[in-house]
Amino acid sequence: MSFLRFLSIPLLILAATAGPVFWALPEGLGLARSLGIVVGWAGCGLLLASLLLMLREPRLARGLGGLERMYRWHHWTGMAAYVLLLAHPLLLAGDAWPNNRQLAWQTLSPFDQGWPVWLGWLSLLLLMVGLAVTFERRIPYRTWRWLHIGLGLAVLLGLLHLVLLGIDEPVWPILGLATVFLGWRIVREDFGLAAQPYIVQSANTVAKGMVEISLKPLSEAVSVTPGQFVLVAFFAGPTFRGCGEFHPFTVSAVGASGEIQVGVKALGDCTQKIQSIEPGVMARVHGAFGNFLADRPSSPQLWVAGGIGITPFLAQIRAGLLKQQTLLLYLYRAEADAAFMDEIKAIAGRDPNLSLRAVATGNDVPDLTLLLPDAAALTQHDCYLCGPPGMVAGLRKALSLKGITPRHIHFENFEFR
Amino acid sequence: MRRFYISTTLLFWLLVTAFWAGSLWLPPAEQSQAVAAEKTYSKADLAKHATPDNCWMAIRGSVYDFSAYLPEHPSRPDLIEPWCGKEATEAYNTKTKGRPHTPYADELLAKFKIGKLAADKPK
Repeated sequence: MSFLRFLSIPLLILAATAGPVFWALPEGLGLARSLGIVVGWAGCGLLLASLLLMLREPRLARGLGGLERMYRWHHWTGMAAYVLLLAHPLLLAGDAWPNNRQLAWQTLSPFDQGWPVWLGWLSLLLLMVGLAVTFERRIPYRTWRWLHIGLGLAVLLGLLHLVLLGIDEPVWPILGLATVFLGWRIVREDFGLAAQPYIVQSANTVAKGMVEISLKPLSEAVSVTPGQFVLVAFFAGPTFRGCGEFHPFTVSAVGASGEIQVGVKALGDCTQKIQSIEPGVMARVHGAFGNFLADRPSSPQLWVAGGIGITPFLAQIRAGLLKQQTLLLYLYRAEADAAFMDEIKAIAGRDPNLSLRAVATGNDVPDLTLLLPDAAALTQHDCYLCGPPGMVAGLRKALSLKGITPRHIHFENFEFR
Repeated sequence: MRRFYISTTLLFWLLVTAFWAGSLWLPPAEQSQAVAAEKTYSKADLAKHATPDNCWMAIRGSVYDFSAYLPEHPSRPDLIEPWCGKEATEAYNTKTKGRPHTPYADELLAKFKIGKLAADKPK
């Protein structure tokens, strides 16, 4: 990643935070009250940055170092904003505490106040409940997604709290930007306005609970390279009814005239339904995102795929002969889960730079250190990992023990939650 | 991050409870605001201080010098500055949408008091 891209998100957050804080920097007030004002504005700026970082626009994602990085920062800024906004009313009340504790409580308590303070409290409580929901993984993704987007309402209420306090000069532009970011996300991305129409050409079951779907563009094709993923929503076909919500799928093949293939593993209600998809189903495709296999160095490489994690590597070897000496270590539970095995073997047979090692690991967690090549054999290697988060974490640890530095370990551990 | 969320949220509610308990169980500190010997100002006196740099207002029968405070007031200047040099009780009691100022503002007000407003002579 270039230095500029590396700095892009921190600089963006700094600008969003420092701007309003500088504008509102208090003078001559008590320390606690001044701090209360500063943390309130800093929290406001962080929330605005967090809203920008939830947008799924390929160009924006490229400029900011990838969608996965944006989402990581989205989580951090959201959490930091929450903590600062919790401190905001406490510090304002704390200013009066040394001299008059009743006044301190009156400042904090919503019971003696009007709409400006009630909206502040409502916003804080919505943030509290919204974040509690965010951390709850048992909620179905569809419900979770809308509840999470509902956090945006907390941001808007918090900004209205400022407007009603009579502080509208810097708030209107912030409120305008927050509304644009939320509207952009909901209309262009959740409702699919930014996505391109595609049609399902074929669907083949390639392993137990896994189907490969071929999609043909009906208008402009999305620009995609091997290693990237797209967001796809499947709608209706002759007999199939899709769930119509966008899910990320890694591309397993990129055709010359814009067709793409995606691998879909049954991991939830929606992806389970997709297993029975049929030709003729309408879809919308948004993307592409990610730079997992982009700009690979000329050094020898180790690719490790776990289950469905084979798809980015498959897209790369389907695209042509490899330029780097590459060992593909393909891990799967049982033979029935080994998707694309015959095809990968055939490609490895004709690509002199590709060697394949396929291992059925069984249902127990395998000893990854034993599965990986010896430290001596990994010297000068760049390692690319794709699979379940637990497996990737284990592989990173095992590779570190074998002397591979983090700079030479590449992975995209993408999760939308 | 989940643990951080839970611990900060719990700490927040703990502190809110402490503020509430503090207001109930501990006697409020004596009102330390030293009220200077009350000086009386007429409306004409008041009207001489009608600029943002030299801004007096009369609120609820008292006269306040807000010259130093004006830049810190949270609302935009054009909302408060027109009240310099005037009787502003109604504006103070019914700021945007008819709401009174908060108890915190009442407390702050006392710090800027310089005297009382002379009563209108009966006609």
